[in-house]
Amino acid sequence: MKRLQNNKIELLSNYLKKNGLNPELFPEILDHLACEAEERLWDGDSFEQAFSNIVETADPETLHILSVEHNHLLAMEKTLNDIVFEGRNKSYGAYQLRKGYNSTMQRSVLLGVTFFLLIMLLPNLYARLVPDPEKNDIGFEVKLTPVDIKMESTPPPPVPVEKPKAEPQPSTRKFTSYDVLPDNMVELEATPPTVEDFQNSLPGHETVEGNSDLMDIVPPAAEAPAGKGKAVEAESPKEETFMVVEQAPAYIGGNAAMAEFLRKNLKYPEQASRANIQGRVFISFIVGSDGRIEDVKTLKGIGFGCDEEAERVIKLMPKWKAGRQSGTPVRVRFNLPVVFQME
Amino acid sequence: MDTNTTSNEYVRGTLKTIVLNLLAEQKRMYGYEITQEVKERTGGAIALTFGALYPVLHKLEQDGFLVTESVEVDGRLRKYYSLTTPGSEAARTKTDDLERFVDAIRLLLAPKSLATE
Repeated sequence: MKRLQNNKIELLSNYLKKNGLNPELFPEILDHLACEAEERLWDGDSFEQAFSNIVETADPETLHILSVEHNHLLAMEKTLNDIVFEGRNKSYGAYQLRKGYNSTMQRSVLLGVTFFLLIMLLPNLYARLVPDPEKNDIGFEVKLTPVDIKMESTPPPPVPVEKPKAEPQPSTRKFTSYDVLPDNMVELEATPPTVEDFQNSLPGHETVEGNSDLMDIVPPAAEAPAGKGKAVEAESPKEETFMVVEQAPAYIGGNAAMAEFLRKNLKYPEQASRANIQGRVFISFIVGSDGRIEDVKTLKGIGFGCDEEAERVIKLMPKWKAGRQSGTPVRVRFNLPVVFQME
Repeated sequence: MDTNTTSNEYVRGTLKTIVLNLLAEQKRMYGYEITQEVKERTGGAIALTFGALYPVLHKLEQDGFLVTESVEVDGRLRKYYSLTTPGSEAARTKTDDLERFVDAIRLLLAPKSLATE
């Protein structure tokens, strides 16, 4: 069997390439044609003859149909992705992503479901693995001891109390009231005290020989005649200034007298009269427990010398009748409006 | 040439069966070998063109009836075809089918001869 020389084969392959044969088919067709050429050479034809013969059978059209049919055959195997990406850059990545989409999806769904179930069943699994603590399981014991909580208290310092000496007691004579009774029930008793008896004593439940010749009826406590400055209780400071008292202090002689006094003593300051100023000056002062005026000051003035004039006149005032609280005279702050009015 | 085309017309339908049948006998063949074999056996009555043969071979290969192996012969890659198990089964059924078909055709074409038989 005659063998084709390499250059002849080259000739054939060039012919096939020129006609755009599918590269996948190329070796097979080349072999086929080469075999055919060899056969013809064997039969005694010249290569040129054989070649032209081959070209006749394997004309461009046939080769083209062969390629197309092969492509069709492959297309049946191709997926949509292959068709979409035909002639495009497959190594870019999108093709791989698309190709692997189904398997990726499957895997992710499987993983997701597994993971989800695992999370859901975790409490159950945990409960199975870790047994419930038994009632006898006691971690530690704590002994409770009762604690007595005592209020920290310091007893108030005992007030030194001097025992009051024997209260001066007025001498009393028994004086009983009498009920009206039938004669037979009347008990004969001592005769009632006579008026003479009461000259030196007071009526009482019993006849007691007093140790004092006092005849006043005095409440036994507080400022007893004999209890000189003996404070039994801690007393509030004496000089307390009240704002409001039961019995307000008053100008001796009443409001009219006070108005008269003011009218007499008040002089309209020149400055004020020049500036045509009028109005009220509110003066605040304290009426002492002895009725004296102290601590005179202007609460709200009108200026132009009026405030000073008002203060001056108030200071001039004679003693007032002191205000009283619970019957005792006390210091009281008093507010007085002084009216300056042009005539 | 005219006879050739008419034979091609029939060959087209039976080509698959012919190829399968040949491979069932020969175990391993390459494209040109098949054409030569057919030509020899039929005395040139049926000439397979490679334009018709190769698509059929590829189709059968894709269907899983044939497997190929490439062997380098004389500096060229030669592709050998052989039957797979489903391929040999297909060869049998297809040959049977064809025979029945040919019988039927014969009945159609020469009913009188059948009557004489």
